[in-house]
Amino acid sequence: MANIRVMREGGETTDEIVWTAQELDIHERPNGPAVAAILAAGVGVFVLGLLTTLSEANTDIADFLNIKDRVGPLSGKTVFSVIVYLAAWIVLVPVLWKRTVPFANAMLIASALIALGFVGTFPKFFELFAE
Amino acid sequence: MELTNRETWAALHGMILGGAFLLAFAGGLAGLWSLRPEWVTVQGLQERMNRLRIGVFSMAAIAWLTVITGTWIVYPWYRAKPPEGTDDLANYPRAFLLSDPDTSEWHKFGMEWKEHVAWISPILATAVAFIVIYYGKQLIVDKNLRYASIVLWVLAFSAAAVAGLLGAFITKSAPIQ
Repeated sequence: MANIRVMREGGETTDEIVWTAQELDIHERPNGPAVAAILAAGVGVFVLGLLTTLSEANTDIADFLNIKDRVGPLSGKTVFSVIVYLAAWIVLVPVLWKRTVPFANAMLIASALIALGFVGTFPKFFELFAE
Repeated sequence: MELTNRETWAALHGMILGGAFLLAFAGGLAGLWSLRPEWVTVQGLQERMNRLRIGVFSMAAIAWLTVITGTWIVYPWYRAKPPEGTDDLANYPRAFLLSDPDTSEWHKFGMEWKEHVAWISPILATAVAFIVIYYGKQLIVDKNLRYASIVLWVLAFSAAAVAGLLGAFITKSAPIQ
């Protein structure tokens, strides 16, 4: 059952329904697994942006990333990004599975990684490093 | 009225898979947003959670299929180099776009952004799918997780929307055929 909390704000009465995990029969899980998934995604996105920029900056790297001729360097950028993403997730999961970690700090790191990844995949940015 | 093999794959990639992801985004967002204590009942919760779990899992899978078909099947046709001395570039979209200064930016900016940014979408959507499937009802009482999921979901959509929009414009200028 839901609780109904009556609050008075400036003389007005408002009703608010607040559920707790017990009322919903939820066995609350630590946030570690979610943090692992989000951080791993951040790492994957960051690596994608990094490889995109490095490929533009250095033809040797572009050649290395060209693992399939028909697709070109994009083949290596995407394959290696996904591999690093999955590897990061595999590494982080056992470390964080049963832990509750400071969520704000983890999200700050993930946000920075994701933002850098977006920037690294933006042509006007990576063309600045074109060899 | 018929589609060539290449047109069929391009349609599968852009219109069916990509289109499905973009259209279903609003449903996923509404599902996540409405997991609020004041908007759900215990009776409605189970049905809503099952729908959301299936929805976000399907969308993450669709996002992966979209980028994989795009990069490994359709993109090679786009970037294929024309034989020496060929004047007809209709079957070589990249070369066709680059052959004219008025259209070259569709490749230099449009395709270069699209082919990379699209891959951000399935990565972020997968994180959201995991959170929804693993935590389920806990998202109702855990605002941090719910808001983080919503932000990641919107970012996944944004990346897909950029890729989809650019893909549509590029296809209009130089279709795969």
